[in-house]
Amino acid sequence: MLLLLAALPALFWDGAADTAPALRDAGIHQILVPAARLASWKNVPEITAEAADIEGAVKLLPPTVNYRMNVASATSAPWLVANGWRFIRRPQGRFYYDVTGKQAALAAAEAFCYGANAMIRTDAAGLKPLAEMLGFLRTITGEPLPPVADIGYIDDGSAASGEVMNLLVRDNLLFQLVASPDRRLKLNVKLGTREYPLEDARNPGTVAHAVRFNLTDEKRSVRIYGSPVVVARLTASDGHARLYLLNYAGASRKVDGIRVRVLGHYSKHQLWLADGAGVELLDYSAEPDATEFTLPELKTYAVVDLSR
Amino acid sequence: MPSCCTLTTVDRRIFLQVAAAAPLLASPADEPTYRVVTAYKPAAQPGMPGPYPGQVVRVHSENSIDAGSGKVNRELVKQMLSSGMKTLTGDARQEDAWARFISPKDVVGIKVNCSGAPQIRSSPEVVAGIAENLIAVGVPAKQIYVYERFENQMQSVGYGKYLPAGVNIFAAETTRSSILNYDPKTYVETSFFGEDDTRSNVVRLVSETFTKIVNVPNLKEHQASGVTGCLKNIAYGNFSNVARSHNSEKTHTKSFIGVLAAVEPVRSRVVLHIMDGLRGVWHAGPFSDLPQFRFYPKQMMFGTDPVAMDHKLIELIEEKRKAEGAITIFDRSMSHVGKDNTNPNTNHYIREPGHVEYASTLGLGVFDAAKIKLKVIEL
Repeated sequence: MLLLLAALPALFWDGAADTAPALRDAGIHQILVPAARLASWKNVPEITAEAADIEGAVKLLPPTVNYRMNVASATSAPWLVANGWRFIRRPQGRFYYDVTGKQAALAAAEAFCYGANAMIRTDAAGLKPLAEMLGFLRTITGEPLPPVADIGYIDDGSAASGEVMNLLVRDNLLFQLVASPDRRLKLNVKLGTREYPLEDARNPGTVAHAVRFNLTDEKRSVRIYGSPVVVARLTASDGHARLYLLNYAGASRKVDGIRVRVLGHYSKHQLWLADGAGVELLDYSAEPDATEFTLPELKTYAVVDLSR
Repeated sequence: MPSCCTLTTVDRRIFLQVAAAAPLLASPADEPTYRVVTAYKPAAQPGMPGPYPGQVVRVHSENSIDAGSGKVNRELVKQMLSSGMKTLTGDARQEDAWARFISPKDVVGIKVNCSGAPQIRSSPEVVAGIAENLIAVGVPAKQIYVYERFENQMQSVGYGKYLPAGVNIFAAETTRSSILNYDPKTYVETSFFGEDDTRSNVVRLVSETFTKIVNVPNLKEHQASGVTGCLKNIAYGNFSNVARSHNSEKTHTKSFIGVLAAVEPVRSRVVLHIMDGLRGVWHAGPFSDLPQFRFYPKQMMFGTDPVAMDHKLIELIEEKRKAEGAITIFDRSMSHVGKDNTNPNTNHYIREPGHVEYASTLGLGVFDAAKIKLKVIEL
């Protein structure tokens, strides 16, 4: 049980034990509760409770998309509210979301995608979407693989650096934190250098653009075509890759198809798609250097296993 | 090749090797670099510029449309179609004229333009007339598709009420930005302003189903490209993710339109252009929300050379704008850039009517005015 709770995000529920029917109806059977309430939940049928404290955890932003229709901007790209960079900066951190309704499902998927230790506090409307997402996440089998990175990023811990990391995540520029430049990576980035001056970080999009330009699109391990609201995370080892795809607009609208390009030749695939029974990858193409396919719909979350 | 851009045509089989060699991501000030990915080879005689390069037929009929009510005289439209086709080909019978382009085995796409619908669009009377002629030369109705990119625009026209039974109506994007009806293996890749999605894919029906395409644009000014006629309807109307070419006052339509129109199999399969100029828009196009900028040229143009036809379109729009006291579409002054569409001397973008001449450099047609032969028919 503890192992399961550690691997999956968990509901943090500070309601009284008499709310148990609502949890059971939604399909929630494991919860984290404030220590002060633990005793009252101990003998509630079909609900397993453990004590947890959100006070020491980092509060995350509700994952979503702001379309900024009325904001003048150099780009019409929507603004993704994503937390991936926080997980990368603090891989051992404890986090929690405070989300409502269908955002609970997206939050659970985001935390799972990064293997984060995260609690999800939600309202009554969020219970069922969360339960369904947790149920889906339990079906995804296989051992965790190491993350793929094209970029080594030297994080100085500043807010500006964090915002650059946020943009890199949102723009699907895969990076890992390094203490010093790592020649095994395709590109190394450090703010305050000639290539990436600190003053540029006032607009983190400028830095992200420069990083993309220097890396080149051709060397990016993952490309997403067809939607600006899907963020990818890629893990891989020994001829096996696992691609995680998050639709940040998933609480309100599905994505009608994305084309995905992954560097590397993978002739076999397996798809796990949340709330997408019967959906299969289309126009699958495994070229010598890259593999491409179309995911015809993405409501919230998908995991694609690729292998040779 | 003009100096503004770089164009690379890449066979799908070698694309992945080439991809590593040339970064596509442009700095904002740079001119675009295009990579064309297609497995389709040109036809022995590509549809554009086709058998009649530099030739344009204009058929005018004063009673073809009632400017007050907008009602189209369907019988006169049929006569205009017949006259235009016979004049273009020199045939005495319209069936013979159509048979030069279309055979009964063809699967034919009729590319309409609904970007200004419902106020201005490829008139359903014109489109129905074309479909009737296709059927008359032996093409089964089920092998005819009237198509456009956006379903909501197309639905506002209601083509179904006019078309012969069995003709298909198809929209590529039933929800905006859906990629599912585009061909993932035939596309142009470029980055204009640092956008992350760098591909524009051709409509899948165009590459996988149609054997011939009849292009039916309108006669309109366009805020970005200067005019929107044959070339733009073929280019931006057949590929996904094209609006990314505009940002602030800058638009890359000058090169992008021609590059898209020249992609195989589009270039080979578009065999005929019939420009519906019953209505027109001389400012704030391609839309027609502002009735003061709508006009009624009451004409149709015919040809196989989209460059020559669009050159004539430029002349017509310029003439109308001059008569209305508006600045030329070739104006590039930032002082005329603004958001007030109601002012005919203000525009969102610096227009790029040079896209027509640029397309001529890609072999799509004849731009030189001295070499364009215009035949005018009055009905």
